[in-house]
Amino acid sequence: MSASDRGLSVALRRTLGLALLLAFWEWGARAGVIDPFYAPAPSTVAGTLFALFQGGTLYPHIAATFSAALLGLGAGLLIGGLLGFTAALIRPLADLLEPFMMLLNAVPRVILAPLFVIWFGIDLGSKVALSLVLVAVLVFFAVYNGIRDVDRRLVERVLTLGGGRLAVLREVYLPSVTAWVMGSLRVAVGFAFTGAVVGEFVASSRGLGYLLSFAQSTYNAAQTLALILIVMAFVLLLFWLGGWLERRLLRWRHP
Amino acid sequence: MSARLQVLPQPEPAPRAPEALGERLLAVRGLTLRYGRNPPAVEEVEFAVAAGELVSLVGPSGCGKSTILRAIAGLHRPERGTVELGVARRALGFLFQDDALLPWRTARDNVALGLRFAGMSRREARAEAEAWLARLGLAGLGGRYPAQLSGGQRKRVALAQVLALRPRLLLMDEPFAALDAIVRQQVTQELLRWVEREGIAVVLVTHDLEEAIALADRVLLLGQGPRARIQARHPVDIPRPRDLVAVRGHPAFAPLYRRLWRDLSRAMGREETP
Ligand SMILES: Nc1ncnc2c1ncn2[C@@H]1O[C@H](COP(=O)(O)OP(=O)(O)OP(=O)(O)O)[C@@H](O)[C@H]1O
Ligand SMILES: [Mg+2]
Repeated sequence: MSASDRGLSVALRRTLGLALLLAFWEWGARAGVIDPFYAPAPSTVAGTLFALFQGGTLYPHIAATFSAALLGLGAGLLIGGLLGFTAALIRPLADLLEPFMMLLNAVPRVILAPLFVIWFGIDLGSKVALSLVLVAVLVFFAVYNGIRDVDRRLVERVLTLGGGRLAVLREVYLPSVTAWVMGSLRVAVGFAFTGAVVGEFVASSRGLGYLLSFAQSTYNAAQTLALILIVMAFVLLLFWLGGWLERRLLRWRHP
Repeated sequence: MSARLQVLPQPEPAPRAPEALGERLLAVRGLTLRYGRNPPAVEEVEFAVAAGELVSLVGPSGCGKSTILRAIAGLHRPERGTVELGVARRALGFLFQDDALLPWRTARDNVALGLRFAGMSRREARAEAEAWLARLGLAGLGGRYPAQLSGGQRKRVALAQVLALRPRLLLMDEPFAALDAIVRQQVTQELLRWVEREGIAVVLVTHDLEEAIALADRVLLLGQGPRARIQARHPVDIPRPRDLVAVRGHPAFAPLYRRLWRDLSRAMGREETP
């Protein structure tokens, strides 16, 4: 059995499992075994999902959540990366930053959401700030450890082959760090959306998180589930993109 | 091949005190090396290497051979003493004990690396790298990543990486210890032929006394560490060019081997009864 055959059969089994679960759920909801108030039948959720998209009112909400998450992700990667890079190379800066970052890493950072609402208002700003903080701390440690973890022998190779500091940076540090950052990219994507949606829960006038808290307040389980599905779909899409990027950039690892 | 290699910047003459160095490419004086607060690994090490000369450095494991090479290459700062180079830094090649290549670069790009640093264009450097890979029996493997190569192949890539820069002084740290006997014999013979023809000066660190004698003009024996010193210096009076197999049958070989072996045993025994 070849690797691709095995991959196919695994995919088949997983799809089968999911289909069985949905079928049982559908049957249970219709037969009255499961209370549809809590767990509406998949067909009902699908109908709600369809209606949400058809109305056209959904798109501004998707755009709001998406832009908050992507802005937070981009800025978080940039800021976390730069801080990690400089901290790893400049000792005093590391001593200054490390306790602060440790603290931010230890606490559940979403508790900052109310503070950000006060600071940046209920619009985009507070959501971007939250997902930025979630992502930046993660990336900071990935880059910081990546640089600390650089193979000294490789640095020496480059130096003895006539490379300067810049060459060491480009040939050794950057690729090592890329590997570390790629390792935490998926988590970072998840964090970015967590930040955006939680920010919207706390205070907002649009976004998927806003719709979710609205659906929750009206006890509309079908709509809640439909919205969760939408967020999941976007995160999966980004995971897939991240996986593709990882395979391209880290080709040397799994040739 | 020489015509193609002319592209490389030729090594400059001695950067300083050439008259003091004379014909020598390397002079190590009173070298004392230590790690942190430990007692010095080696102490008062002195030797010189003339142009085109091959010097073997042997000694018990852990006595400080690698550390000496690292100090010569400027990777380890001496506690005392000096390293004088009669060649430009870029004419100094270092073949390390392990074969760590850049894992994210193909064999070809690993070899091209030093050439790129020397200012060669990417295309030229790649072509040159391929030529070196082919010369070392790795034709067609240029596109592979280090993870896709065997240990022996990686070693040869590392060798190509260093030789491509046309060093005038080559430091080698047990370069072929990890290779199986046949490949080892082959690669060593190829390297010897190249070094003899190009007149490259070599400092070779090895555990293998036979190899030390077979390749070298002089064998230096380092004693047991810490505070290891050079215990004995033996010239090898066997003409060049040498054939690695035939050289072992030369009348001078066996007596020298026995003397070295005796010296080495004595050097190692000395420390057991301080
Ligand atoms: N980074 C280090 N920190 C502290 N001590 C070290 C370090 N590297 C080497 N040493 C010590 O210095 C001494 C000399 O080490 P070195 O690697 O030069 O020995 P060697 O002669 O090359 O040994 P081998 O033949 O086994 O390669 C050893 O006793 C070793 O334990
Ligand atoms: Mg060693």
